[in-house]
Amino acid sequence: MANLSTKYMGLTLNNPIIVGSSGLTKTVTDMKNAEKNGAGAIVMKSLFEEQIMLDTAYQIKQAENDKMIYFNHSETLDYLDYHLREKELSNYLNQIEEARSKLMIPVIASVHCVTPGEWIHFASRIQEAGANALELNIAILPYSAKENCMDIESHYIDIIKKVKKEVSIPISVKLSPYFSNLVYFANALHQTEVASLVLFNRFFSPDIDIEDFEVISTNLYSSPAEMAHTLRWVAILSDQVKFDLAASTGIHDGETVIKMLLAGAKAVQVNSAIYKYGYKHINTMLETLENWMDRKGFNYVDQFIGKMSHYKANDPSAYERIQFMRYYSEIGL
Amino acid sequence: MSITEILSVERNEEWRALLRKSMKASERTAMERVHMPEVPAEERVLSHVEVNAGLTLEQATNEAKRCLDCVDPTCVSGCPVGIHIPHFIKRIETGDFAAAAKVLKQTNALPAVCGRVCPQEKQCESQCFYTKKMQKIPVAIGSLERFAADWERESGNISVPETEKPNGVKVAVVGSGPAGLAAAGDLAKMGYSVTVFEALHEIGGVLKYGIPEFRLPNVLVDVEIDVLKQMGVEFKTNFVVGKTASFDDLRNLGYEAFFIGSGAGLPNFMNIPGENLNGVFSSNEYLTRVNLMGASKKGYDTPVLSGKNVAVIGGGNTAMDSVRTAKRLGADRAMIVYRRSMDEMPARAEEVKHAIEEGIEFLTLHNPLMYIGDQRGRVTQMQLQKMELGEPDRSGRRKPVPMEGSEFIVDVDTVIVSIGVSPNPLVPQSVPGLDVSTWGTLKVDEKNMQTSIPYLFAGGDIVRGGATVILAMGDGRKAAAGIHQYLTSKKKVAATTY
Repeated sequence: MANLSTKYMGLTLNNPIIVGSSGLTKTVTDMKNAEKNGAGAIVMKSLFEEQIMLDTAYQIKQAENDKMIYFNHSETLDYLDYHLREKELSNYLNQIEEARSKLMIPVIASVHCVTPGEWIHFASRIQEAGANALELNIAILPYSAKENCMDIESHYIDIIKKVKKEVSIPISVKLSPYFSNLVYFANALHQTEVASLVLFNRFFSPDIDIEDFEVISTNLYSSPAEMAHTLRWVAILSDQVKFDLAASTGIHDGETVIKMLLAGAKAVQVNSAIYKYGYKHINTMLETLENWMDRKGFNYVDQFIGKMSHYKANDPSAYERIQFMRYYSEIGL
Repeated sequence: MSITEILSVERNEEWRALLRKSMKASERTAMERVHMPEVPAEERVLSHVEVNAGLTLEQATNEAKRCLDCVDPTCVSGCPVGIHIPHFIKRIETGDFAAAAKVLKQTNALPAVCGRVCPQEKQCESQCFYTKKMQKIPVAIGSLERFAADWERESGNISVPETEKPNGVKVAVVGSGPAGLAAAGDLAKMGYSVTVFEALHEIGGVLKYGIPEFRLPNVLVDVEIDVLKQMGVEFKTNFVVGKTASFDDLRNLGYEAFFIGSGAGLPNFMNIPGENLNGVFSSNEYLTRVNLMGASKKGYDTPVLSGKNVAVIGGGNTAMDSVRTAKRLGADRAMIVYRRSMDEMPARAEEVKHAIEEGIEFLTLHNPLMYIGDQRGRVTQMQLQKMELGEPDRSGRRKPVPMEGSEFIVDVDTVIVSIGVSPNPLVPQSVPGLDVSTWGTLKVDEKNMQTSIPYLFAGGDIVRGGATVILAMGDGRKAAAGIHQYLTSKKKVAATTY
């Protein structure tokens, strides 16, 4: 029987399937459910500084509109945002502590900040609370011409370096796919001593309601077809970076788990498939992995991780190809 | 009668009408507002002497003349306890100061306190005709209130409000701060047998432990408390309701209703690195050590750090009290660190003015990021970051935005964090079924201050979070009326049943 354990970010996982940061890991009960159904680790739902700011602003507005609470010009009201922020942060930290006390699998906290100083503050508190590792959800969508790509990349590196200076637990960075040269940027991350990259962050998807002229959301869940983008970059990067990679987006079945590992990922993060099929789907994927390993004669996952990376694949050009050309169609590609 | 009708009846009393005719309105409005005499700053920072010296008789009488005795006295609507302002001011004008004090005590159990600590510029004086219609400086209502209360005290003939015949019904008041004292006073007037349970060894709550001597001498608070004792109010100190005895225990002892005025004594902190270093205090602790525990006095065992470089974080009245106390304890550098600008400071204008005169350094648009300590765990420095005011947030106030790269280090040996308070959780946690808000405060019916438990009423900071003395007193008065209605209804139902 195959041994599915793997080492990811210095953490020992029973298997490479991680339930990613989402509503599936919002409560400790959810996390226990994921563990019970075979998850190798969980990434807690992200602590969003922006959400805290919005909630805080809302509560302060409520307080200001309530005649009975914190009269105008109250010094408590003046600094209420600190108090409310601390309450929200404390809730998250308490959850980390509870999760660590109740789960056997690694608990990876996740944080997204908009204020530069807050990354460090949240990260150090998260470490104190006992998280096994920290995933920095540094999602930056370059929708403005004000910052060029170098500025944005410097911003990432700056955040990671500052956080790394303050915490000793392993740090992973969840990246968006929007980089001019992802390989260049990933290599630049070596200076930050990051423990892993998660490829990729899947953003909220916009759509237009043409009847009501509204911008709405769509495609809440990923589709299996989205795996290709992740697969390409895992394969390309795994030969060129020293840190671990986790594949995320489009991983809906055990076969795709295997593909990502073959490409070079040490672990995969799964969400949409679990939303669709339930936590029990983790076990289904693990069975596929295990059966495949048995058939192929692999006793350990390390025996085949990266076996089909960019450099090691029989035809690496398949990863590099981006155009549909007749040459390739004629030779059956 | 409604309050409007009562005020109108008072205004139509003959002596009031004669007084109005004695001086033209134009003569009254031409008078300059009195300036409260103050002890010079260089002298007062060497002790805890009260800063404001009080109006002289002549000053008070002249200031009283400025009041136009309006048909519709909007000033009254600005007073949370509903003092009949023109009525007491006009008594001062006639020289009948004792009568002025009596008018005050009809609605205010602590006039000497309120005259000193109320933010009048945001309350009664903001509604004065001078302010609202003439855009001129209002009548110094607060100073006049203080004058009348002080005159009565110094005369030795302190009036004790009349009380109804005792009705034998026991009511408990939890907490002896302004809300509790106001509730106790009104309940005693209605003939109830009132016991005030106080957790500390001293009666007065924030009036004693929070507000420094140089703003509100504790002896004045004791005088007001003594009046309540003469009205029959009983006080039990060192008694923590919820621990020493539960509410059920007290009900078994015959208490039929309760007013909860346990306050908001839980200090808020910023939770930044180094905040747990020795030498970093909450303003609650710092002021309690000095005001209540004698830390600044010789012969007292209570230690307090008399830092040379003291930083107080915050911009409210408590921050001003803390930094001015630090100055009096010998600080060479006493700083206010406040993340917004001077214009946005919530402290009373007078407190800020006095603080500036006393040499307090204001580092506005600054915010601490961390405190740095030595090997013994004592704070030695703080890292500050400059702020700028950005776009208004959802509340409409301009948001303080950190200026990246502006960080710098300042030497400090004492830091006092004065960024507000949260309600004491003991009572909310010790009574099952008590509705508590998301802010940890007790939810009440605004009309009568009744909580979700019919025999429990509440007011002051336990309901409002950090508020003011006068708002707490207003709550106490309203709750007393609510308790009276509740108990009266209960008695009627019992009589009907039996």
